[in-house]
Amino acid sequence: MTAYLIRRVITSIVVLIGVSIVIFFLLHTIYPSPAQDVLGAKATNAAVNAWNKANGFDRPWILQYLSYIGNALHGNLGYSYKLNQSVAALFRERWARSFYLSGMSLLLSVLLAIPLGIYQAVRRNSLSDNAMTTVAFILYAMPVFFLALILIQAFALSLHIFSYEASQSTSVWAVMADWHAMTLPIATLTLISVAGYSRYMRSSAMDALAQDYIKAARAKGLPERLVLFRHLVRNACLPMVTLIGLSIPVLLAGNLITEQVFNYQGLGLLFYNSLGNVDYDVLIAYTLIGATLVIVGNLVADIALTVADPRIRLA
Amino acid sequence: MAPVLQLDNLSTDIQLSRSVVHPVANVSLHIESGETLGLVGESGCGKSMTGLSILGLLPPGGRITDGSVKLDGRDLVGLSEADLRSVRGNEIAMIFQDPLTSLDPTKTIGYQVSEPVRLHRGLSKKEALDRAAEVLGLVGLPRPAERLSDYPHQLSGGLRQRVMIAMALSCEPKVLVADEPTTALDVTIQAQILALLDDLKSRLGMAILLVTHDMGVIAGHTDRVNVMYAGRIVEEATTEQLFAHMHHPYTQALLGSIPRLSQSGTERLANIPGVPPDLSNPPPGCRFAPRCARVTDKCTTDEPPLLSEDVAHSFACWHPVDGPLALAKITDSVPVEAGAGSREHLPSAAAVTVTEPDARDTMEVPGGALLEVRDLVKEFPVTSGMVLQRKVGSVKAVSGVSFTIEAGKTFGLVGESGCGKTTIGKLVVALEKATSGQVLLGGKDLASMHGKALRHHRRNLQLMFQDPYSSLDPRMRVGAIIREPLTAQGIGSHKEQQDRIFELLDEVGLPRNAVERYPHEFSGGQRQRIGLARALTLNPQLIVADEPVSALDVSIQAQVLNLMKRLQTDHGLTYLVISHDLAVVKYMASTIGVMYLGKLVEVGSGDDIYQRAAHPYTAGLINTIPIPDPQAAKARSEVGIQGELPSAINPPSGCRFRTRCPFVQERCVEEEPQLRSFGPGHIAACHFPLQGYEPPGAATATATATATAGTGSAVGDAFAS
Repeated sequence: MTAYLIRRVITSIVVLIGVSIVIFFLLHTIYPSPAQDVLGAKATNAAVNAWNKANGFDRPWILQYLSYIGNALHGNLGYSYKLNQSVAALFRERWARSFYLSGMSLLLSVLLAIPLGIYQAVRRNSLSDNAMTTVAFILYAMPVFFLALILIQAFALSLHIFSYEASQSTSVWAVMADWHAMTLPIATLTLISVAGYSRYMRSSAMDALAQDYIKAARAKGLPERLVLFRHLVRNACLPMVTLIGLSIPVLLAGNLITEQVFNYQGLGLLFYNSLGNVDYDVLIAYTLIGATLVIVGNLVADIALTVADPRIRLA
Repeated sequence: MAPVLQLDNLSTDIQLSRSVVHPVANVSLHIESGETLGLVGESGCGKSMTGLSILGLLPPGGRITDGSVKLDGRDLVGLSEADLRSVRGNEIAMIFQDPLTSLDPTKTIGYQVSEPVRLHRGLSKKEALDRAAEVLGLVGLPRPAERLSDYPHQLSGGLRQRVMIAMALSCEPKVLVADEPTTALDVTIQAQILALLDDLKSRLGMAILLVTHDMGVIAGHTDRVNVMYAGRIVEEATTEQLFAHMHHPYTQALLGSIPRLSQSGTERLANIPGVPPDLSNPPPGCRFAPRCARVTDKCTTDEPPLLSEDVAHSFACWHPVDGPLALAKITDSVPVEAGAGSREHLPSAAAVTVTEPDARDTMEVPGGALLEVRDLVKEFPVTSGMVLQRKVGSVKAVSGVSFTIEAGKTFGLVGESGCGKTTIGKLVVALEKATSGQVLLGGKDLASMHGKALRHHRRNLQLMFQDPYSSLDPRMRVGAIIREPLTAQGIGSHKEQQDRIFELLDEVGLPRNAVERYPHEFSGGQRQRIGLARALTLNPQLIVADEPVSALDVSIQAQVLNLMKRLQTDHGLTYLVISHDLAVVKYMASTIGVMYLGKLVEVGSGDDIYQRAAHPYTAGLINTIPIPDPQAAKARSEVGIQGELPSAINPPSGCRFRTRCPFVQERCVEEEPQLRSFGPGHIAACHFPLQGYEPPGAATATATATATAGTGSAVGDAFAS
């Protein structure tokens, strides 16, 4: 297990280096230097060149990349010239809020999707199954911002139950406590994920239900409830583990829009604004974090699967 | 004695979205304690549904519409779900066909075997695990107490089936319903499991309902038999009586369609034309009438009742037969009369006129070898490590195999799963690349060919697959499937291709309008015909048929085997038939090679193998095959081959069979036996053979060696002289 982990971490680092080179190169090609933005549109070429030379932007991109990585390893992710703050400080301020929003939605959607999927598989083609399928497809097909707007219109503007804006508090504990403000953003992300997960869960539970070990469990005389709990749930959830691992970065993208719609001061909103401002260092840092999450998500899913499925042995 | 389980007029329905299927219609049967009742029939005849009805475990939409299921006089039909549950796994237990899927992969075997006793006996976890260890010991799992925390995937298929049986027996049920308990297992393991069931039955005094499609299993392991067709019991008798004096034409045809070891390859198998009826709309009258050769008007209107001839024998037929079918010779061009003096009893199979030049004549012609395989070796690397994929060993799938096939002949390869026979098939058609050795087709080495030359030569080699469902592209029309080889080789205009397709469809007995249809519209046997037509498209010299009939029902199996034989005589085809079923291979092949763990251990004619087997493995394999003859089956003393196939990553030293051989000695461990001659065309690799060894030079010069094999020089010498 330890040897496996070490190998996986090493391969992950190799992948991450490759990804970071590609991202750095692409952004560098599009936007070689922030000099013009820093010095203003009226800055002369000479001034721009001088600024580039002073800040190392005149070097070949691969050298710039190496010094960027060197800095990143020391916790220095660059400097936002737009916000006049270090990127690391910006991220430190905001990551917990994004993590709370994503984590809470992920947890809720898994907790909802597993029983829903199993229920639909057991009652397949019944009225309730068909109704749930319809709702799931509608939600699945809906853009995040549109769902958010519907929820805001219904629950904030018409019924006045929840706030149309997410919590603006700087303390993450205060954010967590503020359900009035946080329910709608969490609900938006959760509903979108549940739609996909429950479809997946339904088909994997249907596969498991068709297996002989379910028949064998019934032939033992187990009550249906125990057949499902003991022999179906774990088997049906196995494919979900990989799916959830892979969808962690997707949740991050969901954050981007949700945070923007609800004006929630997380990483997603920071990235959204930086896109408009062409805030070079924030963009690259956020993209690299996204790539890291993809890799970590995969790794976590693989490890979780080995715990959940005895057939997968780590050599 | 009162029967422990009695079914009276049991009928079930399954509600589908558009129709209602009646899989079980008025079935009555009874089983006594200590008795095994066989329930036999083709797939879809309702035998599994009968088993599931007994436990009240019908699939969604299924329900019992009529009749009763009495366990010790207590009717189980209409019991509450809770009462039924206290019977399931406790008084009636069930084992399923596929041991690979019938155990929960995420639970330990100890947990799964102890589950029923915890449920029904209320034992504590500790007591239940002790009981699990006890039952696992009873079913022959070695060191059961240590293996309670093993997961199913850590056990072989045979051991998993033992665990499944242990799970069923943990509460000492009165009745065990065994639904095709050995169908998914190798013959050697099948024999072990069936012997175990026989032994447990007598030790525990249970009643067993053995549901199977295999008449051979029925003959050797049941006391009485009920034959089922299209949801009805058509004949019931003691096993001896049924096999000797069957009265229903269906029973007769079912038995006649099984190739037997004692049968000559020139006898045509009795096939049952057509397929079983659709059970949502069964035909009026006798349900077998549309496929029966003895059908009269009465059969299509009036349903024959199940009448008793005597206490133990009853059948439902207006025009009963008496006794087994006399098999027609392939060479016969007219329907053969049945057994002597029984003129009224015509053979029930439709007679197909097939002419074959006398097999004996062609035997004598020293035809050149079409295919020659020399010292073929195939190893698959076993790697370890995520990054570097270091090679840590290799699976030695094929280790130095040599044989030749003459043009127009059939070579059969037989052996347990994992012995390397399928790999040889793939190597011969150049779908795998050999590690070393040569495959010569008409003197040209395929193994050294590449690219265009190899693609051009592929037309001479075609493959026929095992699974008729996955071997045809479901999105292609049948016409396109058969046309594809022509297009790939760039042969003929569209019109010529079309004519060829029609010709092929006629040849394999499919209607011409099949070209417009998709594979899912055809039955398994018809699909196998489509596969054969596709293989024939390019007029190949050699067809490699890998388990061509093992996915088919026996009656359909016979149709396909007969068709393959007829095409061989018509077109002079050469076959390499690969099968785990020695009877099929013996029926099809003029020469048989027996494989064990990557090596040919014996090669010879059908009679050499069947009557004069020199290798203990061959003899053991023959002994494990269920014979559809109760007397012969019961006369067998031993189980055949003990144990399971060792790993091909690390095969045993010396003779690879030594770990399972009853005659093993010191020499077998140290020295690998070479193939030696035991008569014309008969070679085997064993230090202590069952037959006398024929020294080099004794082989008669007239013998045409249809097979030369061996890595050693001893064989070469034997055939050089």
